[in-house]
Amino acid sequence: MNLLETLISRRRFLQASGATAAAVGVGGAVVPGLTTLTEARATAAPSSGQTTITKNICHQCPARCGIDVYTTDGRVHAIWGTSDHPISNGKLCPKGPLGTYILYDPDRWKGPMKRTNPKKGRNEDPKFVPISWDEALDTVAARLNALRDKGESHRFALCYGRGWGASCAGLQGTFGKLYGSPNVPIGHSSMCSDGSIVAKKALDGNEGYNAYDYINANMLLMFGVGFLDAFRPYNNNMQVWGYIRGVKVPKTRVTAVDVHINPTLAAADRALLIKPGTDGALALAIAHYILVNGLWERSFVGDFKDGVNRFKPGETVDPATFQEKWVKGLVDWWNVELKDRTPKWAEGVTTIYERDIIATAHEFGTTRPAIALFERGVHAHSNGILNGMAVHSLNALVGSMYAKGGLMNQMGPSYGPLPANYEDYLDDWAKDGDWKKQPRIDMKGHEDGYLLARNMLQEVGPNSLKGKPYKLDTIMFYQTNPVWTAPNGQVWEEALKELFVIDTSPFPSETAMMADLILPDHTYLERLQDAPTYPFQGWPMTQLRVPAIKPLYDTKYFGDVLIEIGKRIKGPMGEYYKALDNTENVLRHLAKGFEKNPGDNGVNSFESWKEKGVWYKKPYLWRQIDGEFYEWDGQDYNRKMSESEVKEKLLKTESGKFEFRSSWLEAKADWIAEKTGRDRSKLMFPHWEEPKHPGGGDLYMVTPKVALHAEGRGANIPIAIANLQPALGGRDTVYIEINPATARARGIRDGDRVRIKSEVGTIEGYCKYYEGVRPDTLVFPMEHGHWAHGRWAKGRLPGHCGEVTVNQSDRITGQCNYYTTKVSIERA
Amino acid sequence: MAKWGMVIDLDKCTGCQACTTACAMENNRLPGENWQDVLYYVEGKFPNVSMKWFPRPCFHCENPSCVSVCPTKATYKDPDGGFVLIDWNKCIGCKYCQVACPYGVRFYTDERAPIQPDIRTVFPSDEGRQWNPPYKGPQDDPSRGIGIQPHGVVSKCTFCYHKVSKAPKGVADLDEDIPELKEYVPGCVRVCPPKARFFGDLDNPASYVNKLIADKRGTRLKDETGNKPQVYYLSGGAASAIPGLRSMKDEG
Repeated sequence: MNLLETLISRRRFLQASGATAAAVGVGGAVVPGLTTLTEARATAAPSSGQTTITKNICHQCPARCGIDVYTTDGRVHAIWGTSDHPISNGKLCPKGPLGTYILYDPDRWKGPMKRTNPKKGRNEDPKFVPISWDEALDTVAARLNALRDKGESHRFALCYGRGWGASCAGLQGTFGKLYGSPNVPIGHSSMCSDGSIVAKKALDGNEGYNAYDYINANMLLMFGVGFLDAFRPYNNNMQVWGYIRGVKVPKTRVTAVDVHINPTLAAADRALLIKPGTDGALALAIAHYILVNGLWERSFVGDFKDGVNRFKPGETVDPATFQEKWVKGLVDWWNVELKDRTPKWAEGVTTIYERDIIATAHEFGTTRPAIALFERGVHAHSNGILNGMAVHSLNALVGSMYAKGGLMNQMGPSYGPLPANYEDYLDDWAKDGDWKKQPRIDMKGHEDGYLLARNMLQEVGPNSLKGKPYKLDTIMFYQTNPVWTAPNGQVWEEALKELFVIDTSPFPSETAMMADLILPDHTYLERLQDAPTYPFQGWPMTQLRVPAIKPLYDTKYFGDVLIEIGKRIKGPMGEYYKALDNTENVLRHLAKGFEKNPGDNGVNSFESWKEKGVWYKKPYLWRQIDGEFYEWDGQDYNRKMSESEVKEKLLKTESGKFEFRSSWLEAKADWIAEKTGRDRSKLMFPHWEEPKHPGGGDLYMVTPKVALHAEGRGANIPIAIANLQPALGGRDTVYIEINPATARARGIRDGDRVRIKSEVGTIEGYCKYYEGVRPDTLVFPMEHGHWAHGRWAKGRLPGHCGEVTVNQSDRITGQCNYYTTKVSIERA
Repeated sequence: MAKWGMVIDLDKCTGCQACTTACAMENNRLPGENWQDVLYYVEGKFPNVSMKWFPRPCFHCENPSCVSVCPTKATYKDPDGGFVLIDWNKCIGCKYCQVACPYGVRFYTDERAPIQPDIRTVFPSDEGRQWNPPYKGPQDDPSRGIGIQPHGVVSKCTFCYHKVSKAPKGVADLDEDIPELKEYVPGCVRVCPPKARFFGDLDNPASYVNKLIADKRGTRLKDETGNKPQVYYLSGGAASAIPGLRSMKDEG
């Protein structure tokens, strides 16, 4: 090792260990850059006073708000919403301005490191020591080459959470195909909100979240979404709220359903506090009411041939008397399920008064356009697919699918092709190797596992630990921290003790504590990274993060880490990554797609994309008007679409209709009946099924995201901590919400320290009396209880809900049942 | 000469606290020491419970009780713009103003930090200021209470004087949706996602803030004190702008 390398690795060590102050003057040599942040300022160039503004995309939730990053004298000091960005429109949610805390987080990793303590555990110091990027990347490549040489490439898994775009998560799929592992990548969608994606796939054939035309709707019926708390895109939701409640004529009516009073329910016209896991029963009763009272949208759904409504409570209907239009199986659904789902029945299941169910159903059935939206509160239960299907069916009944003021699907951006086509670089192992015979480690797509799911990240750790279907060898993580976020993550701690673990987060985390290698990413204000929009308003949009400053530390963008590892894999795979070269090259090729298809804001090149930060192209191309579908012809929705075009582009089911009777589920009826015990005559319809609540306790536990939950970092941002729970919390304390009657019955006083138990774990925290929470339910934000996340997060109460959450999933959607474990509570 | 004022529409406010955090970052507030705060109120019994919130900046009163009690004339009413400001070079930290203010919007932050570990020890200042965050903004004007708060003084919302005072003369309203004006708009107004906040010249009869106050019956908090706030609340016509709690039976 020559002198320069010695100095550089010395510098990394000092940065990584935080021992910087003592280091200046070691051996008389002062290495440039060997400074703390404080010293860096002292030695900064004289102030030019010039402020530069770079475009970026907020990283703190999936919404992808365009932000203007203000930098003066090399220091980032302000973040505001980008005025001409369609999501942020110059605005931000409470998290947005806090991004500089993330950039300057004193607990960041300072460069690549390897573990030197072979023992792993919660109380084991990993004894990370700094290494060079070459050593880090060579180490990974050597392992992957060796596994491949042994014919065990399937034992490498790459798991990711918040992937952003084609230049990071988008590169992973080809990596898996070229390398030869079914486990590259495994996304976190089953721990996110696959319950809604799969429920919608069953009904309308689109495997995705919906885009919504909120501002043209006249009623919103929200089931467990936290519209004014955390639902993406939160910032834009609030802009919508200001308009629909303060400006729009007529004022939009809002009913919100949840298990406690949160700002969404507080601001709504009607708040319904529902028993956890029973939202499907409420939706079925609303559907029942709409049919019995003849309130369905005939132009979309169809009608009785003679116009006489035969939907009478408890009575079956002859399917031959009804002419369906864009739906399939309405009368079958009525006969097997809906006819008995009266509001009175639903009162018994949901505990919501019949009076309030009828009022909600009447309003939803008589106000057009209306949107029923739902998310995890509804479907993070064993009956999640059924609840989700019941809610989404309401959108078809009132004709909101693809209507003005209704729901759409998100279109993708016009990207150009990558610099190379991976199919030209597949070797024999990649094409036909034995790895193709291996199931995925998470048993996604397997009859013994989750045949119909999209991902099963929560099963990766437990399955590897059991050796079923096999043990992994090496596991790499991008933007996910399953030791903490997985239900019953304690199992992951054991699983990762056996594996070679690589983490790529810029920050310490519980998963990083189990890592053998740390390959830290830049933080978002330092990255050049693309980010196509999450479902928003349907028309295509993609955004770009432009670095505001050079990276503060010796970090590397994950997309480049992947490319650099790829270059080091033997054979044609390495050649493919040499052809990609680096992520900037990838992004420049993607942007070539804009040349032929410039955005509405004039973006037609990589350079203009960097300048504006966003490419988008309005309008959404399709609309359903009074039961007919039209395509945009350049002027308006004028070109009428044929049934086959609707099936190809919009209602992508087997029938090309909105299927209350799901042909996708019916095709797998044998497997569903065997694995769920569901009635074969009902399993393809939205129907009521009691949820299974594991855990052994007597109270439900629901742990929502709140407005100041900055994904992956909220627990270590002091301002977020101080304002996390404004309705109940102290400046420094987050409380467990408990209904006073529930507390008194257990001898628990307001403010007591309490213990929450389930069959998988125990946590503690402080409780607060709250009349706004159901007496059968405990609620607290999913945020604290970290043990390796940074100095402000460490040990903060309440303990982590994941440690008392049983790992149970919806067998159809694979959705992790975060909100279904029952717990007990006692004074600590 | 403008008399700047703010209008907050409580029908549009979503209680999200973006005003709080944007202010905190713009003005280098210590975590939990919010110049701009949102207060929450809950009343009622399950299942019919109401939650309300009330966003509260400094009201920059026309007749501020904090100014009349200040023994050193450190806190003052700026006749040019109507800002209530503090000269940190004159403040002796006696906190009389904090007691006199009916609205609780003045801050002395030398006590134990609400959030531990104390971020002041992580980013310490060597210039007698409370701290020195790497993300601090370039503005610094101790004679108006702008910049990082020194030890031993009181601080408060400045209506983002460092922005507003640079606005083109004669502008009736500072609207963040007008690109030429957005840099002059107070942070809490600029960030507000539902656009519940408006900022303009109360002395200009044609300003939009005066239109809102007139059409939507703008009210001022604790008008009976005679402080005459320059911040007005709008709240759905006849309803009270200010949350009040009913007495409920206490079951102990």
